[in-house]
Amino acid sequence: MTSLLRSVMITGIGSVSPHGPLAGLIPLNPLEPTAISAWATAGPRRAFLVPPFRPATVVPGVKTRRLDRLSVWALVASSLAIKDAGLDLNRVDRSRVAVIFATSFGCVELTEAFYLSAAANGWNGTDPVTFPETLASAPTSHVAMFHGLRGPNITVSNKYFAGEAALIQASSLLRNGQADLAIVLAGEALARTLYSWYEEAGLLSPACYNLDPAPEVDGFVPSEGVAAFVMESSASGDLDSEGRPGIRSYARVSSGRWSAGGQRAEVIGRMLDGSVASLVICSGNGAPCATSPTARLAREIAGEGSTVIRPQSFAQGLAGTGAIFHLILGLNSKPRGKPGSGPVLLLGTAGDNGFAAMLLELP
Amino acid sequence: MLSGKSCLEPAKDDVYPGFEGTIAKVRGLPALAEYSSPKYSRTDQLAAIATQDAMASSGTDRSAFVDSGIVMASTLGGLTEIDTGIAKDPAAWYRRPDGLLRAASYPFAHVADVTGDHFGIRGPRCAVSVACASGAVAIALAASTLLDGAAPIVLAGGCDPLCPFTLSGFNSLQALDPNPCSPFDQNRRGLNLGEGSAVLILETLAGATARNARILAVLRGWAMTNDAFHPTAPQKDGSGLADCIRLAMEMAEVSADDVGYVNAHGTGTPLNDSAESQAYETAFRGRKHPIPVSSTKSYFGHCLGAAGALEAAITIMAIRAGALIPTLRLTNPIDSPGIDWLRGEVKHQPLPLAMSASSGFGGSNAVLIFESGRT
Repeated sequence: MTSLLRSVMITGIGSVSPHGPLAGLIPLNPLEPTAISAWATAGPRRAFLVPPFRPATVVPGVKTRRLDRLSVWALVASSLAIKDAGLDLNRVDRSRVAVIFATSFGCVELTEAFYLSAAANGWNGTDPVTFPETLASAPTSHVAMFHGLRGPNITVSNKYFAGEAALIQASSLLRNGQADLAIVLAGEALARTLYSWYEEAGLLSPACYNLDPAPEVDGFVPSEGVAAFVMESSASGDLDSEGRPGIRSYARVSSGRWSAGGQRAEVIGRMLDGSVASLVICSGNGAPCATSPTARLAREIAGEGSTVIRPQSFAQGLAGTGAIFHLILGLNSKPRGKPGSGPVLLLGTAGDNGFAAMLLELP
Repeated sequence: MLSGKSCLEPAKDDVYPGFEGTIAKVRGLPALAEYSSPKYSRTDQLAAIATQDAMASSGTDRSAFVDSGIVMASTLGGLTEIDTGIAKDPAAWYRRPDGLLRAASYPFAHVADVTGDHFGIRGPRCAVSVACASGAVAIALAASTLLDGAAPIVLAGGCDPLCPFTLSGFNSLQALDPNPCSPFDQNRRGLNLGEGSAVLILETLAGATARNARILAVLRGWAMTNDAFHPTAPQKDGSGLADCIRLAMEMAEVSADDVGYVNAHGTGTPLNDSAESQAYETAFRGRKHPIPVSSTKSYFGHCLGAAGALEAAITIMAIRAGALIPTLRLTNPIDSPGIDWLRGEVKHQPLPLAMSASSGFGGSNAVLIFESGRT
């Protein structure tokens, strides 16, 4: 494991989630799934849905007409994170700001719309405005355009660890000096085709049908939303001298690894280098194979003395992109200021399909 | 390419009814028995064949790749396996024979997953989608992964197939030239879509040297920028790409005079080629001689998420062959005094260092600088 060339801190958080648009940490109060009304379903169906809101009331001046909801939420979440970080972008070299976005399914709503236009008008009659907005990279480029960010602009994915991949790639760009600051986002927007796929594949929890989930029944409640971090390297930051006295650091990123196989306990053990994680935040999606083994591995790695936070309700329903939400929720659960406590481990597993691990230090 | 052969051809009915134009289609795609399941899309098959070729040509046993990483780019994923019916009645579509399996190939991460699984590549696995710069960005991220020490070897590349979805989209944008494209020509009319995949095997110079690997080229520098300007149009002055070239040259610690050839993005659209030529004028200002530039999309069409990787491979081939590859059908080039527009015959000369440039919708730019591996 290479050590960091430059220190990387998380200095701002923004999100659009079933809790609504928020700057900073997300409350831990549990949520109930809400009824789907945006499309016709074969009977009542529920999911963790983002409540409707007008983006311009949250981010003055933002124009979102004809964008996929995923792009809209990326714009809002990034703006809230920048605000939370106390950043004045006019005082930042925007050519040194990267945007990294993780998504599994991309702009599904407008992809559906494009297909519908082809069904209605033939392939020679599709809509030229919709087409570029169907790209998975559209939210990432809209964040760059809205904020004028001219650094690397990257959309990544991974079946199980897309959010972790974005965090690790962003850390890499920052510590290798390819950017001084990064807006890192991850999320999905639920659409009819996606929800229907989960349903037909038999992946839904009974809770989606208003039924109490029986303990022995697997399944998950699909979710939607976008979470954003501002991540900064120490080089961006003679921060105090740039008029940001008392800048808050939610966490400092120490290292990260993800792999599609390998000896995860050994790899994470090497990352910990003799220290004991004081807190393990289990990420992972709602697929039955992902949840319990993560907590078991967390306990194996961290021992009985540390706190293990299992995957959290709505973040679990975000396919592979829930890691940033898991981390935000986990950071809110951590008692602060405990001297001498060990690092925080963000841990995701996917059966035999690998793992993702990040070590963070709390201020 | 060295014989000037173009893969562009008139589209037949295998695209979609009513489409009239020019494409570059991979015909006679070798059938991979292991890829006969409907869960594998055409994208997956293209990537598998390129990966298989890359691993075989490395002369290294497959077992050496177990701890390797893979960074695979695609803009389409499994869109080839989906049709309009999925949007009209998704539940009914999924209940078709193999409906769920076909849909499973939709996420753009799928291709990285199945390629990794098929070839037993168990290190870090990342999918990339950065529009038409995807393939080059995948190579840049793979290089960063190596720098981080996260894997000893990383396979990086891109893949995208021809698909009604994209042909229709570019057609709706009126970005297609119905005839074979002529990048950088003053009378250019647009691009032609192609399909393909290219995969490079990257490892640290120290690692490759230690195992006596055949080093095809050295990736000296790379950079990524964004125009932050428009969803589909580049900055008119090409400043985003010019900045990207400058940053890549800084990383490579080379001067504008050191670069012997640029394999350009060169789509053949009026806006791209104009902005791109200005980027080269800016980035190579002060050179002793005009910078040699060509677009090899005049041979293969625009392969979208594969383009950056394919053109990186072509750039390496140019270095190894000592060949400056011309743009086909370039008769009346854009007026750019700082650019030596390569056209006509292939020029043979030593080429120690060359650059590949990529750009994409959403304003992304990526530049890779390669050096001869014979040093």
